Amino acid sequence: MKRLIPLAALAAAGLLGVAGSVAAAGRGITVKGSDTMVILAQRWAETYMAGHPGSIVQVTGGGSGTGIAALINGTTDICTASRPMKEDEKRKLRDRFQSMGTEIAVAKDGLSIYLNDQNPVKQLSFAQLRDIYTGTISNWKQVGGNDALIVPYGRENSSGTYVYFKDNVLLGRDYSPRCQTLPGTAAVVNAVVRDPNGIGYGGAAYAKGVKDCAVSKDEKNPAVLPNAATVKDGSYPVTRDLFFYTRVRPAGDTKKFIDWVLSDEGQALATKVGYFPVR
Amino acid sequence: MTTRPRAAGIFVALAATLFAAGAHAQSADSESTAVAPPDAAKQISDLNGQVEGMTESVQTLLSDVDKLKRFKFSGYIQARWETAETKNDSVKVAGSPATLTPANTERFYIRRARLKLTYDSSPLSQAVVYFDGGADRTIRLLEAYVTLLDPWTAYHTHALTVGQMDVPFGYEIERSSSVRELPERSRAENVLFSGERDRGIKLVDQWTLKFETVLAVMNGGGINQPDFPNTDPTRGKDFMARARYAQGTVDGAISYYTGRNTTPLTGPDVQTDKTRLGFDTQVYYQLPVVGGGSLKGEYFGGRNVNADSLKALIAEPTSANPVRLLKPGANPAHLATDFVGWYVMWVQNVGEHFQATVRYDAFDPNHDLAHDQFARTCLGVNWFYDGFTRVTVSYDIPKTDRALAGGAYDDPHDNLWTVQVQHKF
Repeated sequence: MKRLIPLAALAAAGLLGVAGSVAAAGRGITVKGSDTMVILAQRWAETYMAGHPGSIVQVTGGGSGTGIAALINGTTDICTASRPMKEDEKRKLRDRFQSMGTEIAVAKDGLSIYLNDQNPVKQLSFAQLRDIYTGTISNWKQVGGNDALIVPYGRENSSGTYVYFKDNVLLGRDYSPRCQTLPGTAAVVNAVVRDPNGIGYGGAAYAKGVKDCAVSKDEKNPAVLPNAATVKDGSYPVTRDLFFYTRVRPAGDTKKFIDWVLSDEGQALATKVGYFPVR
Repeated sequence: MTTRPRAAGIFVALAATLFAAGAHAQSADSESTAVAPPDAAKQISDLNGQVEGMTESVQTLLSDVDKLKRFKFSGYIQARWETAETKNDSVKVAGSPATLTPANTERFYIRRARLKLTYDSSPLSQAVVYFDGGADRTIRLLEAYVTLLDPWTAYHTHALTVGQMDVPFGYEIERSSSVRELPERSRAENVLFSGERDRGIKLVDQWTLKFETVLAVMNGGGINQPDFPNTDPTRGKDFMARARYAQGTVDGAISYYTGRNTTPLTGPDVQTDKTRLGFDTQVYYQLPVVGGGSLKGEYFGGRNVNADSLKALIAEPTSANPVRLLKPGANPAHLATDFVGWYVMWVQNVGEHFQATVRYDAFDPNHDLAHDQFARTCLGVNWFYDGFTRVTVSYDIPKTDRALAGGAYDDPHDNLWTVQVQHKF
């Protein structure tokens, strides 16, 4: 009898697991993560479902970090991320799934620097941006603007855009405590629209009612505005890939959806939404 | 960070809604009675006042929430049912030496119930307090440490930790029991690093994304030593070092530990060498359709005080002779012996919810002596119920030599079934 109990537990676990897998297979594909990508992912999902009757793709945001946590917890099939996975996130995924995950670049994005329309500043270098966001530069006069206090707006630390900007523009340095944290790119844009001394960063597709600031990587290179040509050829210095992550190599319905996203139709939709094709 | 924009957003939304409602009412009034419109400017002024008040409240609230977000609670519970092969043997639990519970071949118990509180004070410092209940213990402090990160590198890649923490040696020790594929660590690890934790200071340097070194100085006794935490009988501290290269699909590390062990006697104590050299490697792969898998192995070698030698060479105090002395003719150098321990493990995920594991581990506490070796095969299946809960069913097949009359030996019937439900939060 004693030997039967663990075996029965194992069998019950197996049956429940199979039942769970069947139930999971019936719920469609879940996509969770980057707020930068949420509009794009929703458009992909809507168009894909329209062209593939019976398929279900559910899209939610929350930030790249939230999406990656969901991928590790097994509560989403695809994670959208506007930054690469960190080493500790890969380790957590590996601990659970013995896999480093599969990274698929699905679109390109120019990370725009938003300025208020009334701001006379037209361009900034990486070094100036770094000094503004770390607090070394605090007055627009120091970068050729009005004598006014700079109000930097940024994202929460669960945001992939927050991490990308910190890693690539601030070179890992910590944000100034003066940087005001906002819950989404749209909120950053709205804040800069209302604040003549504001500066923000976010996806190029969100830049409505603000002006883009030209950015130079250093003093030797010219300042470049983000547009389809400069993002595609890489001359705009704040260009990044947007990713899908899966736990293992995609298969079944998930693979079909990702293949469609990477198809000409999916990539054309990315361009239409305001992003740039990955190939 | 301030929250003005969010509050301002609330203000704009509220003002717009209320103003629209006011405008609608005004429109209806004008249609029916054609009276003069109410003083819109006064209404907006009143609303401004109300919203400013709300803004202050929200700012205070968000400031408080921001402070609370610096606290992170995490932990896990492992509720377990165990049954040994026969009623003649006791259920064995981990320890050094392995502890036999009172005769009790079937039982429910809480193996681990742990709660960790982390406070991220700033980008440059962090404090952790970690408590453990379960395994028939009272609640005890498992870890408590402060980590300081360097301010001179952008990613703060050098970290100094002071307090009570995991001993930085090998792979198994620092890997949380909440993520381990089998319920218990290998026997070699259990014997050599009982409790896995000690008090001291540790410097971690992440030289590149792939290469890390650790240096540490610790008391050396570990948290399961009877003297812990009040004394360090060796006085001299133990030193440990590890270098790890993590390529992603193939990781590996070399670890070194050196110190002294004190055996207390009536009169001068005996000091013996305590050295450990370790190698570990992990190889990861993916099978199409089936899922990810890994092969892991670890080796421990060195010199350590031997529990059997203590029994053989030391006369324990009795009521008639209350002193603890070496037996006549015993060589104190023989209290420590050369040991070898190792394990190999295969883990295979099957789909999203299942994981199968096989591990073989061996420990020879004195490789000059026969019949004191321990070997064990562990088979395990994990079923991941959701992102937080898993059920583990494992079967341990230990092999030891039990001395019988006439110089014969047999392997006692002490195989062990374990069914464990773990919830991690």
